[in-house]
Amino acid sequence: MIYLLLVLWLFLAFCIIGEKRNIRIVIYLCVFSFISSISFLILGSPDAAMAEAAIGTFTGIFFIICFEKHRELRFNEKNASVFSRDEDPPDIDDERAVQALLKLRKKARARTRGKHNAKSILQRYLAPGLFSILLFILFIVFLPGGEANPYLRNQFLTQFSEHVGGENAVTAIYLAYRVYDTLFEALVLVIAVVAVIHMSYSSDILVKGGKPSHVGQYVVVVSVLRVICAIVLLFGFYLIMNGHITAGGGFQGGLFIAAFFICRYLVYDIYDLPITKVIRMEELVFLSTVIFAVLIVFLGTINHLPPVFHIVYMIVMNFLIGLKVACGFLILFYRYIAIERR
Amino acid sequence: MEILGNIIIILGIIFMLFGVIGIFRYQNFFVRILIASKIDTVGALTVVIGLAVKHGFSFFSLRVVLLLVLMFIINPMVTHIIARSAYESGQNIDGSVDDIEEGNE
Amino acid sequence: MYILWAMLIFLIPYLVLIVRGPTVWDRILGMSLVSTKIIIIVIIFSSLNHLDYLTDFAIIYVLLGFIVTFFITTFLVTRKKREK
Repeated sequence: MIYLLLVLWLFLAFCIIGEKRNIRIVIYLCVFSFISSISFLILGSPDAAMAEAAIGTFTGIFFIICFEKHRELRFNEKNASVFSRDEDPPDIDDERAVQALLKLRKKARARTRGKHNAKSILQRYLAPGLFSILLFILFIVFLPGGEANPYLRNQFLTQFSEHVGGENAVTAIYLAYRVYDTLFEALVLVIAVVAVIHMSYSSDILVKGGKPSHVGQYVVVVSVLRVICAIVLLFGFYLIMNGHITAGGGFQGGLFIAAFFICRYLVYDIYDLPITKVIRMEELVFLSTVIFAVLIVFLGTINHLPPVFHIVYMIVMNFLIGLKVACGFLILFYRYIAIERR
Repeated sequence: MEILGNIIIILGIIFMLFGVIGIFRYQNFFVRILIASKIDTVGALTVVIGLAVKHGFSFFSLRVVLLLVLMFIINPMVTHIIARSAYESGQNIDGSVDDIEEGNE
Repeated sequence: MYILWAMLIFLIPYLVLIVRGPTVWDRILGMSLVSTKIIIIVIIFSSLNHLDYLTDFAIIYVLLGFIVTFFITTFLVTRKKREK
């Protein structure tokens, strides 16, 4: 059963590689993420499956916005270039001088290449080769023979409920044993948001009364979406609150809270949230996440607390991560949309 | 109860089979989307109802009924969006292929 | 069990529709069909293995598939109107 899904998966992957048109690639990507999500689910990792489904659709939305913006820019350039023709490049009169210059350049290049060849083999290939041989020898020498060490397995898989609490082992691992991983993932998202903000800098970011788009024109769909909006927000909070019992958690719930604002854009055609305040809020939430994790886990206070507080700790941590992820994706979405409509 | 559920599920699968045959048979896009709505709405809803009947009255079937309400609202809407936007962006009704230019970049 | 196999085999013609379909709208239609089929697979899988919490996944697929389809179609229509 899983083999059929994997064959379809590979087929779609090769389709994505061979295709050149953008919209087709986005559609293939969405279907690819759906199929990979269902195969993760059947292979037995529901948390990764949920994250994969949410991420696949969100990247599809962002890619569509970016392609449309790029296409609009190119369309404007093509129209503009009819009126202002480029000047021809200046002719060079003296052909001899040019040819002499070319010869000189060719000679210099050949000389440097000759010098380069002798050393570059040593420099490029010898050191990495030696290093990889050394690594291979080390790997063979220290290969664990006999029985595997059961200590880590026991600690992670059978005692997580005493140490941390909750029923989902994955949540226990990423919020207690591996909390620094989670912190660094949050940091990566912060860096991505900062990079997008600085790359797409423009002073008039929130233009009001821009070009009218066709979002919000379908009366039937919009009146249905107005109801579904609320369901999306409630479902996001449900995922965050039940992160320690079922699959789900901060990341997925945060994505759903961001999806609520995308629905709001689709319904009312507005994006008037004060974006500077959202950025400030994201920084504060990230800082409080780090401080909370350091206070509870790194200083070891979690071992002295009664076991009821473990679940409280997990819920609060999931809530903070969810808020942070929601703010990050909201900033990305508003940036892209505002620049697309500029 | 199980036999009734199985019968309903097989009915849904037959609906889906007709839909799949119809998708590959006709050349006109609007005929195709009309037939595809049989898969998306009728077939899927029938299969889910059959699963809920097969399970009897339990917590699982309560959740499935909640899902059924969502699917009952959303799935016809998706077909409606696709058909309407295809019509608005210049897909001809008489069947000649007038594809929207996809941008070769 | 037979339903799971039937749904998995139904995935193949939809993928053919997505890859071959002569217009963009066929591809988007195929995407929504695949998402519906995957919802049914999730429900069947959870009922076979008695895992109740997996029905959350079905709700996720319903909502996200709807949002993505709406987004792509509205952007295509907007582009067409703009370039006319």
